[in-house]
Amino acid sequence: MTFTSFNFLLLLPLIVALYQIVPPRARALYLLVVSYAFYCTWSLGGAVALAVATALTFHAGKVVGNPASERRGRKVFLVTILLLVAYLSIFKIAAVVPLGGLAGFALPLGLSYYTFKLMSYIIDIYWGKIEPATNRIDFATAIAFFPQLSAGPIQRPADFLEQVPPQRTLVWQGLARVVWGLAKKMLIADSLAPTVNYVYSHIGSGPGGVHGAALLAGFYLFPLQLYADFSALTDIALGIGMMFGIHGPENFNRPFTASSISDFWRRWHMSLTNWLADYVFTPLRMATRSAGTAGLVFSIAVNMVAIGLWHGLTWGYLMFGLVHAGYLVVDALTTRRRATFFKKRPSMNWVGEWFGWLLTFHLVLIALVFFRAHTVSDAIWLLSHAWRGLTHAKGDLSPVLAAAGSKLLLMGLAGYAALELAERFRPDQWWLRFQLTAPNWLGRAVQFAAGAFVVTALVMLTIRSGSHASAFLYQVF
Amino acid sequence: MQSAGNAEVMATLTGIFRDIFDNPSLVLQDSMTAADVENWDSLNHIDLIVAIEKKFKVKFTTREVTSLKTVGDLAELIEKKLATKP
Repeated sequence: MTFTSFNFLLLLPLIVALYQIVPPRARALYLLVVSYAFYCTWSLGGAVALAVATALTFHAGKVVGNPASERRGRKVFLVTILLLVAYLSIFKIAAVVPLGGLAGFALPLGLSYYTFKLMSYIIDIYWGKIEPATNRIDFATAIAFFPQLSAGPIQRPADFLEQVPPQRTLVWQGLARVVWGLAKKMLIADSLAPTVNYVYSHIGSGPGGVHGAALLAGFYLFPLQLYADFSALTDIALGIGMMFGIHGPENFNRPFTASSISDFWRRWHMSLTNWLADYVFTPLRMATRSAGTAGLVFSIAVNMVAIGLWHGLTWGYLMFGLVHAGYLVVDALTTRRRATFFKKRPSMNWVGEWFGWLLTFHLVLIALVFFRAHTVSDAIWLLSHAWRGLTHAKGDLSPVLAAAGSKLLLMGLAGYAALELAERFRPDQWWLRFQLTAPNWLGRAVQFAAGAFVVTALVMLTIRSGSHASAFLYQVF
Repeated sequence: MQSAGNAEVMATLTGIFRDIFDNPSLVLQDSMTAADVENWDSLNHIDLIVAIEKKFKVKFTTREVTSLKTVGDLAELIEKKLATKP
């Protein structure tokens, strides 16, 4: 069951309504039951594996956090981390190479997300940052919380537990965010998808291979599709969380406005990059700090390769990580020089800003070709052939548009432009200001109209999803 | 209330922060976090830590570095290290 499936959207109002009558102290248990029921619709065995990993980490946490047994705690910590890493790795390896009996198994739903939650928990206890959780039901809920289960955001268990038992639910605000996410997914991402899919499955010099402008279309459109798709998934996860009184971490902050690669990584999939910064990059950087620049380069390389391979053990994801590692090393080693250059020439600042944005945007797009293409050689073919034959744009594009539909593509592009404008001007904040200043009766009338709009939009999107629901790109990790 | 030792540590820290983050007008406060200081991110956090280690002649562990939340925490940790130094 995915978030855009007809069944899920029909069930959600019932789950939310029942939650309102559950007393606060039973709310975690209620969410736990719903979360495991949700997981069981995917796989019973997967749910058992999730429960075992959760119980193991919970009990390990108690030993690791016990100051009376520091030596034993250290051993238990190492064993737990090794087990979790092995569990994650085995399935990631089995996804690409047949591993005996595991070859037939699919990657357990949300494996990459919940193992990261569990690892952060046990490391934080080991580092003395948090105390072990006292309530196993609350803890199990933090790990299995169904809105975040299949695709994050990766919320640290301690952050979740601080909000348990949830008191104040934000049903309307949450619902508005869900509708916003559904609209982004169905009207923007799914409208751009056919063009992107067509281009990426017709790369090469063989018959039916696309040329020049069509390759460029794939190059520019996939990142927009990915952002609309993945940020929609985050919106829905956070919106549903709000309906249950749980606030999760944001994942995006207008990533395509970044002015440098390091700025981009502060804005893209933030819950994953923060996780890696805390548990991979910083410890490595501390361990290699006496090695100067070599230590920095090594830490960046390991961190970015880990980000790439977290998506799956393929050459494409490895290249994605390596390319970004290269970018970030250059970024980190030239930060000072760039700052000094522009400080001496204040009149050049606007050139730096625009050029920085344009360069960053294209560097990010180049790396994403490796992320999307079926093979590394496809990616290199696209990048090396996209700039040829631009004079025949119309002829190059016509087979793509005929197959994918030019009206759909136009709708996707218009929707994407609206998305960027909405994120820039934030009409939701005008609304908050309006509520504070408008007379009471007008506020209520507009509130009623907005509520009616949100519900109508939800119903329409639900019906639409019933006719053609497509999976989210990030639900496969 | 700030002790005399704390004020001294804060003054030295301010110099290090201004140099690392290339901002000569930066004024530190105990409650400041990474979000309050421009360019203070995970990429250069350890550059800051290394500079502090050199200046105060102390050593930090990963566990200590990852547990810091505010500038005040950092100053307190440095004072503690200085007080127990042989």
